[in-house]
Amino acid sequence: MDHATPLERWLRGIALALVVLFFMFPIFWIVLMSLQTNETILRTPPSMVFEPTLSNYSAIIAGRLDSNVASMGIEFMSNLKNSIILSTFSVALALLLGVPAAYAFARHKFRGSEDIAFTLLSFRFAPPLLVLLPLTLYFQQIGLADTYVGLIWVYQLICLPLILWIVRGYFEDISPDVEHAYRIAGHSWFATFRRIALPLAGPGIAAAGLLAFIFAWNNFVFALVLASADKQPVTVGALAFVTASGIQYGQIAAAIVLSIAPTLALALYAQRYLVEGLSLGAVKG
Amino acid sequence: MIRVEGLTKRYGATTVLDGLDFTVAAGETLVLFGPSGAGKTVLLRALAGAVVPEAGRVFIGEQDVTDRAPEERGVGMAFQNYALFPHMTAFENIASPLRARGLGRDAIRAGVTDIATLLKIDHVVGHAPKALSNGQKQRTALARALVAEPEVLLLDDPLRNVDAKLRFEMRLELPRLLAGRGATVIYVTQDYKEAMALGDRIAVLAAGRIVQIGTPEEIYTAPATVEIAKLFGDPTINLLEAVPEKDEGGVFLRISDQRVALGADLGAAVGRACLAGLRPEALSFAAAGIPVESEAETPFNEKTVTLALTRRRRESLVSRPAGTPGPTSGPAHVAIDPAQVLVFDRETGARIALGQGAAAEAAA
Amino acid sequence: MAIAGDLPRRRWRVPTGALPYLLSLPALLVCIGILIPFATAAWYSLQRYRLSQPWNRGMNWGENYLNFLSDPGFWNTLQVSLTYAFLTVGIELVLGLGIALLLKKSTRLNNFISIMLLMPLMTAPALAALMWKLMTNANFGILSYFAASIGLEDFRWGSDPSTALFTVILVDVWVYTPFIMILLLAGLRSLPTQPFEAAELDGVPRFQQFWRITLPMLMPYILTASLFRLLDSIQQFDIIYALTQGGPGDTLMVFQVEAYLNFFQSTNIGRSAALMMILWAITFFLSNLFVKNWLRLRARARGEI
Repeated sequence: MDHATPLERWLRGIALALVVLFFMFPIFWIVLMSLQTNETILRTPPSMVFEPTLSNYSAIIAGRLDSNVASMGIEFMSNLKNSIILSTFSVALALLLGVPAAYAFARHKFRGSEDIAFTLLSFRFAPPLLVLLPLTLYFQQIGLADTYVGLIWVYQLICLPLILWIVRGYFEDISPDVEHAYRIAGHSWFATFRRIALPLAGPGIAAAGLLAFIFAWNNFVFALVLASADKQPVTVGALAFVTASGIQYGQIAAAIVLSIAPTLALALYAQRYLVEGLSLGAVKG
Repeated sequence: MIRVEGLTKRYGATTVLDGLDFTVAAGETLVLFGPSGAGKTVLLRALAGAVVPEAGRVFIGEQDVTDRAPEERGVGMAFQNYALFPHMTAFENIASPLRARGLGRDAIRAGVTDIATLLKIDHVVGHAPKALSNGQKQRTALARALVAEPEVLLLDDPLRNVDAKLRFEMRLELPRLLAGRGATVIYVTQDYKEAMALGDRIAVLAAGRIVQIGTPEEIYTAPATVEIAKLFGDPTINLLEAVPEKDEGGVFLRISDQRVALGADLGAAVGRACLAGLRPEALSFAAAGIPVESEAETPFNEKTVTLALTRRRRESLVSRPAGTPGPTSGPAHVAIDPAQVLVFDRETGARIALGQGAAAEAAA
Repeated sequence: MAIAGDLPRRRWRVPTGALPYLLSLPALLVCIGILIPFATAAWYSLQRYRLSQPWNRGMNWGENYLNFLSDPGFWNTLQVSLTYAFLTVGIELVLGLGIALLLKKSTRLNNFISIMLLMPLMTAPALAALMWKLMTNANFGILSYFAASIGLEDFRWGSDPSTALFTVILVDVWVYTPFIMILLLAGLRSLPTQPFEAAELDGVPRFQQFWRITLPMLMPYILTASLFRLLDSIQQFDIIYALTQGGPGDTLMVFQVEAYLNFFQSTNIGRSAALMMILWAITFFLSNLFVKNWLRLRARARGEI
């Protein structure tokens, strides 16, 4: 494979450059835009030369936009807070529920265990609106509409299958003999779960948690349907922000950058596990 | 003491343990021997509580422990693949049974240090299992099984994965170690030499049943089946197809037109298709006897083994103590010690009766 | 010497048989809560049910479904959804495979690029759509500027019915190509090297190596990745809703967008539920196909086959 002709190597290089350009450019451009004022954004022809400003970010973080025309409030920070609350607690709950279940599915082939595991998996593939639309009516009846609790519960549709299937794979990779050895040494199953299974599956649990966090953060439709303004995460909030802020393009860009930065950072941090997580444990990276 | 009654384990349609019954006396070492898939490991796990049997009872001492969880049985077990806790140091691995028993820090340190010193791994107890050699891992696993002085020790082929030199050393070392503790030991192995060296008794398992249980001498000199005869003994036993006959001189075999007398109690074999089992040491070169062609000679540990061909070109191995004179290649004669001839039914593989000499020897 | 400590007897014990059920029960309960609305949706789909006309509510059994047969809106939805799904997955598969082949060799640069390419995939699709909306903005969008500068003066991207589908597909390709790429790259790198070395020795041209060895051996990965994407793509909501809300007109009325608008704008709950049931039937069929392939791949990754 190594005896590529120079022409081939050139073509390869050009192709790779195009690939990188296509996939990286939008992020690059939005970051540039977030550092500009409306004036420089609206220049024709567009130019890379401008004086960067952090005013868009400071306006968003301060929650106020003061211009010479008017002064208006920006709700974006509360969207960011909602995203953090929803994603964090959803993942925490999913870990609490999913890790013991994953252990049960991995270690004890009990009656119906595979059926249950596959039912959970099928949640990942069912159209979310099928469940969400009737759920809005129920939520209004039982008072869960527009609450964090209700949203976190529904977010389990995303987080639970992911955690269950990835962590199950990690538990299956632990030799049962290691656990047997610890029990034979005289420890209860719970001590064995806590001191052997959990630490050994630790990296997998952490990776699954990070991925679930990313997917919860990136979710759009659940909150769009079930949350009103004060509970909306960034994905829904940004959309509303576009309409509300009118022509403050720099701020829209800054809001987008702030919204995608956490997941991108987490993804880079956990990239070793992404392949496994994205394929729900079917492919190892 | 361990007593097992009617122990049965199935996985789906396969019966792995088929109604086993046996008793191991206190302080005795029983070796479980058999080919892989015979159920040795499953049996050991069932005794430890790691596998739940479908039927049967397990007693340790006088107590029925069948329904007890592994942690409540108080046994020590070493696994074939060591099963060390990879995230703990060797020290913590060895200490884990002591911690479960709620010992204080000093007692734990003393207990671990004692056993580690005894097994010559005291200098590496601070290391993680990853940093240990195979031999050290195996000793750590053994130390973990021994440290709490359990009454019952279950050792699952602990020498399987260590190199030949270490295996040899441990084979010498283990009996002393086990005897010193007075524990009842069940030891699984696939190596017949290990079985002979370590076992007070050997139980031969095949397809989930005990085919034969007895002292190493009994198993060797009076194997219950042709399969066992083949498994025990190196070089392997010579098997010749023959039909025992009987005349006024008694029961005899005809091998290369030579008459080989058999014990009188082999009357049952007369006229049946049989396999005559002749261990290489039951054969010797002599001035007269069965004419053979001596083909090749191989030194084999403390023996010298000669490959000899009978007139019908059947191969036989003849052994003699190393250093004793043997024939040059070419024609020679082989004598058979009639007392050591084993006769098996060709159909079932079962041995037909004791060769009388062997019976006398086994009794002695 | 006897060891001083004794094994503590457990004061309470969980019967071994019940343990796995106890461990998985909480997860199960949460899921049962989610199965109830599913049953409700099936029930609504058999009703004449508009929020604006509560007095008119009643069972009409299969009428919602029967109406679809003569409803051009439904056929449009079906057609747009299928077109969208197959076009996106097809393009992403070709591109993803191409990029994976480019990055196959595990050099530092290649690994760096493959990690960088994950960034679009980790961007929320709704936000990605917003980014592209800004990029195609007629006033300052960089893509509009490029389009104009190559002579496409009146290229209006998402707001023109003739280019709306192209625009959303472009965004989908941007977000999801890395998904296929990364799975296929993992697959490519896990292939055994002997067949390739043998082919090299036999002088098989590299183009043929690709068709005869690489592609067949990569098939399980390709199938799993494509089915995975197909399942998601036929349900696409975020990108389309954020970019055009299904418009202009009904150009991009895919299943979930149509059902969403039916529910919240025309409050026709019966029709909305029936639409979702049909989409569910499609995804159920696809997911069964997927799970079979996925399990095979999973078993292989665990070294079970």
